[in-house]
Amino acid sequence: MVKSDNNIFECNNITVSFGSVHALQNVSVAFERGKIHAVVGQNGAGKTTFARVVAGLIQPSTGKILVNNKQMLGGDVKQARAAGVELVHQSFALPPSFTVAEAMQFGASNGKIYSRRGLEKFWQKHLDNLGVNVKSKQKIKDLPVETLQAVEIARALISDAKFLILDEPTAVLSPETTDKLFERVRQLKQSGVTIILVLHKLKEVLKIADTVTVLRGGKLVQSPISCENIDVKKLSAMIIGENASQNLANSNRAAPSVAIKPDTALDIKQLSTIKDVEGAALTDVNLTIAAGEIVGVAGIEGNGQRTLVRAIADMVGIKSGEIYLNDQNMTQMSHLERRSNGLRIIPFERNVEGLSLSSPLWENWSIRNYLQRPIFSLIKPKEDRKACNTNLKKWNVHYSNVDQLAGSLSGGNAQKVILSREMDDEAKLIIAAQPTRGLDIGATDFVWKSLRKARDNGCGILFISSDLDELFDISDRVIVFLSGQLVGEFMPPFDIKKIGAAMIEADL
Amino acid sequence: MNMQFITIFRALLFILLALALCSVIFVIAGFSAVELFESIIDGAFLRNGAMKHALRWAAPLFITSIGVIISFRAGYFNIGAQGQFYIGAIFAAFTAEWLNGAPAFVVIPACFIAGATGGALWALWPGLLRLKSGADEVITTLMGNFLASLILIYVTGGPLKDPSGSGQQASSRPLDEAYRLGNSYELSPTIIMIALSLGLFMWVIANRTTFGVVSGLAGRNATMVEWQGTKLLRVGLASFLISGGLAGIAGTVELMGPNGRLAAGFLPAHGFTAILIALVANLSIAGAAIAALFFGGLASAALYIPVMSGLPASAIEIINAAIALFITAKSKFLDKLFSLGRAKWKK
Amino acid sequence: MEEMIIAILRSATPLIYVTLAGVIAQRAGIWHLGLEGLMIVGACSTILGIVLTGSVFYALLLACLFCILGSIIFWFVVEKLKANQIIAGLGLTGLGLGGTTLAVEAIFGTPAAVNAKFGLPKIGYVFGDIFGAFNGLSILVLLMPFVVFGMWLLICRTRLGLQITASGEHPFAARSVGVNPSRMRFIALMIGGVLCALGGAELAAGSLQIFAQNMTAGRGFMSFAAVIFGASHPIGAMLAASFFAIVGALGIRAQLVFGDDVPHDLLLGLPYIATIFGIWLSAKLRGGAKAVSGFDELRD
Repeated sequence: MVKSDNNIFECNNITVSFGSVHALQNVSVAFERGKIHAVVGQNGAGKTTFARVVAGLIQPSTGKILVNNKQMLGGDVKQARAAGVELVHQSFALPPSFTVAEAMQFGASNGKIYSRRGLEKFWQKHLDNLGVNVKSKQKIKDLPVETLQAVEIARALISDAKFLILDEPTAVLSPETTDKLFERVRQLKQSGVTIILVLHKLKEVLKIADTVTVLRGGKLVQSPISCENIDVKKLSAMIIGENASQNLANSNRAAPSVAIKPDTALDIKQLSTIKDVEGAALTDVNLTIAAGEIVGVAGIEGNGQRTLVRAIADMVGIKSGEIYLNDQNMTQMSHLERRSNGLRIIPFERNVEGLSLSSPLWENWSIRNYLQRPIFSLIKPKEDRKACNTNLKKWNVHYSNVDQLAGSLSGGNAQKVILSREMDDEAKLIIAAQPTRGLDIGATDFVWKSLRKARDNGCGILFISSDLDELFDISDRVIVFLSGQLVGEFMPPFDIKKIGAAMIEADL
Repeated sequence: MNMQFITIFRALLFILLALALCSVIFVIAGFSAVELFESIIDGAFLRNGAMKHALRWAAPLFITSIGVIISFRAGYFNIGAQGQFYIGAIFAAFTAEWLNGAPAFVVIPACFIAGATGGALWALWPGLLRLKSGADEVITTLMGNFLASLILIYVTGGPLKDPSGSGQQASSRPLDEAYRLGNSYELSPTIIMIALSLGLFMWVIANRTTFGVVSGLAGRNATMVEWQGTKLLRVGLASFLISGGLAGIAGTVELMGPNGRLAAGFLPAHGFTAILIALVANLSIAGAAIAALFFGGLASAALYIPVMSGLPASAIEIINAAIALFITAKSKFLDKLFSLGRAKWKK
Repeated sequence: MEEMIIAILRSATPLIYVTLAGVIAQRAGIWHLGLEGLMIVGACSTILGIVLTGSVFYALLLACLFCILGSIIFWFVVEKLKANQIIAGLGLTGLGLGGTTLAVEAIFGTPAAVNAKFGLPKIGYVFGDIFGAFNGLSILVLLMPFVVFGMWLLICRTRLGLQITASGEHPFAARSVGVNPSRMRFIALMIGGVLCALGGAELAAGSLQIFAQNMTAGRGFMSFAAVIFGASHPIGAMLAASFFAIVGALGIRAQLVFGDDVPHDLLLGLPYIATIFGIWLSAKLRGGAKAVSGFDELRD
């Protein structure tokens, strides 16, 4: 690596370990001033860790960091910020009860005692200058994601950022707002800011970045690669490694069409719900899923997908309408009764809603059966452990014993435990909510195969994902939710432009 | 290395740390820490018949602590054991008063049922407030403790007042000898049997029923259990009721055994000590039996040391408090020590 | 009426000081159940200080010193040893209750109540006869509104306040702008320690001049409830604490009016019932303040 004044950032032999796991291993990178650099890799490749090391949030166990040729201590946010390094997090780090003005103020370096109006006026001026369309007295918790992101970027810029890191900035954005973000990033580059984008969608990388850095399994694969000399194919081969890429070469094809059976697995008629804790209320939703059909749900997060799942699970109040499972009216039934009639749910948040991480595997696995029995029935833990063991083996889960805590499994294995619990032979309707989020390519492939197999066995499947590519690959039909309403229904071949437009209609 | 061993070692380490803090306090207050500890150990475990005394105190503490374990496992911080203990005792006392003259085999079971009901009722309302409205149970059960002690003062000074009692401390009329399960001088085998069989029964409930597993899962991750289709109300209420009921039974045991009557403000540290036992035992019922013996010993030492060595009984209170301060602590140092030890072992 | 207001001010002032300590701890992300313990330490060391040194100033200094010491221990256990806040808080309370009893016993040879010859200076003594009937209240009562205002200013109108609040609400957000949440909690607990000392001093030496075992009688816990009831806002919490005090004063009033017709032990319970009501109401209005339950912490 050539030392040069042209580099705004250099690091040598950075290693970060959490316990015995190396999140980063001997990574040495240099970034040139005034360019847009992308950092890519699979989940678990160490991208976010890298971003946090640069921003001073994580202290590397070994290695040296230079910003503007000045050596950093590492693990010192204040020093990094003083040198002009700012990080915008994937899940935004803004306290929800704060107003925008307060959120700007608490990390700023000026002012002692302020008046509320003065503070709001002061920050409003700055926000307006940066073209952020937000009122500074609005509360953080009331803002949509793209505004939150804009506020975080604005905050970074106000503290005179010379070196801006955006961690997965497009993960929460619609195609439309992604373009806007990229426009803004290019403007920043014009004004002399160096930018690192941590991304995982390769098309986006090639669209925006000048150079790309590839990480795999915590190690540096290559850096920097000029984006002019590389295409998606080569890049993805570097990301997953040569061997793995060959194995997966054929599995991502679009789903083969199967005969969809005449019986319906789910029939929702004119369903309206009250507003849910976290998501839009549903209004007049009509939806049918046939046995043996995968229906994909598209939409920007928070537009009613979650409410739909919670309504089917009897977790949100229904104002009007009816829900039928296998031609049986379930509207008045409890979640447990619905489950005993074949409803299965793979919930959104694997680690919160799907598993209890600090409980043993066999308890996590047995709970579905236990809940179908009276509250004080005797159990035989030995036999249940054995049953759990057989089943997890069948599903190819890697674990050492069933008394192991669920939290000790990797994301992919944890998801397999949920699959093995929810995809038994009696399942008739499977709700799969973001089942591949955060999984690597191998595990994602496993989930897809399992869902397809269940479909072929006659299950109806409702598949919710924020990744449109995935949705198109696996669904027999795609529906789009916007503000709690079903606003579009699409058959293959899917047209990303039309579906994308349906997702953001209200914004146009 | 064995997980259980680490757990026990950790508990012991933090108890030692707590005792070190206590020594500092004792020395600042002008007592000799060595002398104090010596006399506490002597009072608790070494003197003649110490084991008997420790058992006498341990049995009711054990019963209450099982209840605490059940509610803590289910994820509810029911720290109202003291209040539930009092209300249970009050219900039992009223029942004994009301049935006075009936044969013992009627009165004693009736008192136990009443005691359990009283304790359960005193846990029911915080449970409902928590599960129906989300009102934090830490504060409601705490306030319940204060209310219960006021009710106890009222009852012992009013409806159940012993007219012949001295003015010092209001108390109820003493129970008929026929209804007593033991007296204050000797250890009652009946009470030990009651404690052990309750322990066994609750062990089965906690480890061999769907309730045990489901409430345990709910305690660690309630959201996950909700997504599995159960409303937490039933499991949650059951935990509150069991927890309160057991404290109520402990109150009944104290009333019908060693105490023989209700007195205003009797055993004010019972609930807190039971919580400590549950925590020191790492929420295991078998562990609680052993921990109860330790704290039972301390409780008997609290009576012994002011009389025998003229040292203040509040020393015991301080030891308990210091243990509470440290018992839930986690130690990075300890984790490192063990992982290092394991690594060396492998080599 | 004037009498009533004086009675309310007397019982509300200690509560308000301690409640403010709870507010700032709550903001920093600590459920402070050790308030009761710190309050009684404040009360005890004030009286002992007056008895031993004969100076109110040294007595208050002593109270602050011991409360800060208690807060440091609490901070160390909760932050450095990652102990469960609720259990550790109860432990701190136990330590306070037991420690004060022990201290009294060590000094006077008996755990009986300690009387001081004089208490905190009265308003009339310091400012002359300008407050009429209120002259008999201690200066800490007069100081109270200013302290409330100061805490409001600190928490709601300074960057430090925002940083403390962020440390409790979203520690990662705090960390990512270079704020150390652990340090913010330390600051919050130290400020809280001083406030508890003042609350305890007012309780023991404001209108009375006495320290008795367990004399706080749950006021610290009541203050904690006021924190929740008042949405951990300094003004809200002050109002909540005043509400509890008013209910208590009304109870005593009812006792004077009705005499033995109402069991007075039960009237003493009115503030506790008001507290339960307050917790229920705030849960209804704001959807339940969930404790930092962390039972994983308990059984790892």
